[in-house]
Amino acid sequence: MMEFRTVKRIDNSRLVRHVEPAKQKNLFKTAGLGGVVAAFFLFYIFQHFKCIDLSFQLEDLKAQQAQAAQLNSELKLEIANLRDPMRIDVIARKQLGLTEPLPTQMREYETPSGMQVAAARLVRRGQQR
Amino acid sequence: MKEEKVHVRLLIVAGVALLWMTAVFGRLGYLQLVRHSDYLARAQRQQQRTIEITPKRGAIYDRNMHPLAMSVPVESAFAVPFEIGDNKIMAARLLSGVLGIPRDVLETRFESGGSFVWVSRKLPPDKAEAVRALNLKGVYLQSENQRYYPKRELAAHILGFVDLDEKGLAGIEYGLDSLIRGKGEKIVVMADARQRWFDGGSAQKDQGANVVLTIDEKIQYIAERELAAAIAKTHAMAGTVIVQNPNNGAILALANWPKFNPNSPNDAKPEARMDRAVSAIYEPGSTFKLITLAAAFDQNLTRPEEVFNCENGAVYIAGHRIRDHKPFGMLTVSDILAKSSDVGAIKIALRLGAPKFYEYIRGFGFGQQTGVDLPGESKGILRKLDNWTPVSIGSISMGQEVGVTPLQLVTAVSAIANGGTLYKPHVVAEVKRGPEPLPITGTLGPGEPKEVIRPETAATLRRLMEGVVLNGTGLRARLDGWTSAGKTGSAQKIDPATGRYSPTQLIASFSGFAPINDPAVTILVSLDSPVGLHEGGEVAAPVFKRIAEQVLPYLDVPRDVPLSPKLMQAAYKRNQADDEQSLEDFTPVDFSAQPEQMPAPESGEKKAENSQPAVTVALDEGGDIAVPDFRGKTMRDVTEMCLRLGLEPVLVGSGLAMDVAPASGAKVRRGAKITVRFAVPEAVARAANSAKPNGKNRNR
Repeated sequence: MMEFRTVKRIDNSRLVRHVEPAKQKNLFKTAGLGGVVAAFFLFYIFQHFKCIDLSFQLEDLKAQQAQAAQLNSELKLEIANLRDPMRIDVIARKQLGLTEPLPTQMREYETPSGMQVAAARLVRRGQQR
Repeated sequence: MKEEKVHVRLLIVAGVALLWMTAVFGRLGYLQLVRHSDYLARAQRQQQRTIEITPKRGAIYDRNMHPLAMSVPVESAFAVPFEIGDNKIMAARLLSGVLGIPRDVLETRFESGGSFVWVSRKLPPDKAEAVRALNLKGVYLQSENQRYYPKRELAAHILGFVDLDEKGLAGIEYGLDSLIRGKGEKIVVMADARQRWFDGGSAQKDQGANVVLTIDEKIQYIAERELAAAIAKTHAMAGTVIVQNPNNGAILALANWPKFNPNSPNDAKPEARMDRAVSAIYEPGSTFKLITLAAAFDQNLTRPEEVFNCENGAVYIAGHRIRDHKPFGMLTVSDILAKSSDVGAIKIALRLGAPKFYEYIRGFGFGQQTGVDLPGESKGILRKLDNWTPVSIGSISMGQEVGVTPLQLVTAVSAIANGGTLYKPHVVAEVKRGPEPLPITGTLGPGEPKEVIRPETAATLRRLMEGVVLNGTGLRARLDGWTSAGKTGSAQKIDPATGRYSPTQLIASFSGFAPINDPAVTILVSLDSPVGLHEGGEVAAPVFKRIAEQVLPYLDVPRDVPLSPKLMQAAYKRNQADDEQSLEDFTPVDFSAQPEQMPAPESGEKKAENSQPAVTVALDEGGDIAVPDFRGKTMRDVTEMCLRLGLEPVLVGSGLAMDVAPASGAKVRRGAKITVRFAVPEAVARAANSAKPNGKNRNR
């Protein structure tokens, strides 16, 4: 027996879904609230991990600071070593051939007063101009 | 039908999904809510570390803020044996090669088990790097502080030293250990799985305090260098030099021989580490005559011009014969001091009497600690008055039967130098934590200055001490360009074999100050058992001269006397003069322990060393104002004359002017201080005395 299939063309384009304003409003409210809650959780998680990340960075900076402080100490120690009076004395006498001045080679001068120094500086500045 | 099947399938999928979500969220809820506290505790145990922070030890500076002792971070290697596991033998072998520690020692440490064991502490940077490069499991590096003394032996006895844990064991390091060390604290830190910290805790709150000393690095070096040269020349067993500011008791330098390097204190013998300046007791000998005369003058029992019969060098006291080093006849009190007559000193002491003499000895600080802020100070030896024998007054008056430390003696001489005030000697100027100075209290405090003799007595003694240098046993302490005063001492030591005084083993000393009228420094030099020449005036006085002539220009102390003509002549003519012998001694003797190898001098450089220094400046005749003759003038006249001439008078005593220092005719600079001594003329004094009903006639 032959079967016949009829094609039924249904056109629903003219159908407009009726949206109830109250329900839509509720939907938006719920979605908004959900969004806020989600954003809150996201922000909480973000700042938590950011805090840990910054802590790591802070510790790295502290370690760098400690290294710099250590280098500073080592350099100060080296400077103190180089300024050892015995070392300077040996260099002066043995390497540079210096000797202590005789009493006759030392001349004493009176220290000028502050006013005299200031006056001399003023004159010198004027001459330079 | 179909639709029903689809519907059922959808229901099954939804049901499975629901079940899955229920399981997941249920488990999540169980872990987060029910087991919350358990897992929180576990996480904290894994992440939290309690770290003990050792504070950095404070630094020690000289008075010009040059560091003398400082701590620097270094790395120490430690091991966690259970982490090393089965590789202990290999780890020990590798570490032994790098660190130089025997392998079996390291193996024993690793076998001990436990979670922590030191491998090697405070490694030099290259060894720490080598250990890091090995990258061994279970072997780590930890930062610690290492104490360094960059000037090596300089001021070693003052600074002291520390042990491996930076705990002070001697000197200032020991005395102020609790302040310098600071307080350790524990902090809690959070660490991740890789042991990286991410919440490191707060910074150190209680750092170690920094100490600023009164010591001047350069003066200390001068003192140590000259002491070393003197020891080398005289082959003495030991020696001490102290340089003090007489106006406040601050110690500018304190040098002992033998010395040691505090960077490696265990390499030195215990006697080298002893601070002889505060601990060593010796009989001061003739220097103690200053105390005898100070007491007698202060009690108005004698005058510098009074003449005593020194019995040709021998006197009997309580059946004991005491001899002078030379037979003297009639000597004035000035000469008794200048020529150091024991007989004369004994006679003066007998006039003073034991109780008064004892009072003055204690007043000058002998027989008790000075209170200096250095540990290990000795009181010295002074018998209580009740225990004095009949001969004690004679012995003590010439500096025997009494034990003093060098610090006690220099403090007493400083009291004479500054006009009669005994200041507490101290080496600590300031203690700071960060920028804030800490209050100095207790033993660190300055103490109350004490007036021990009148200013007139001190002025008289200063003049007499100048006589020692100008005419007496201290000729070799005379300075070129400055006035100086002092007293020599040559005290016999007791021979332990015989129990008697040894004729050959002496303590040679010289204590003095310069300039006279406004003393800037008091210097004590003491040499123990010099070989050959052994008198204080021969071996210690020249050291005083060399130190003073370097320290005074460094402190910008203006000259108050013209230079010696011989010296000027030698400088101009480049001839060898007698005085140049003292100039050769400026060259230090021993520099064998230098850290740097100096290049061997070529022939040209050798010539430069031996040639005479060139004269570059013309004559300096000292000053341009001649000190007038004030004899017989009143105080008003003297003051007016000084003001007219631009001099600063220091008036001592009352009555009419008797003498002046510097002497009349000496050239001084404008603004120089001159001391004028006043007294009531003798005729007036005699008339006043005879008018009194019970006036005593003290003239012999």
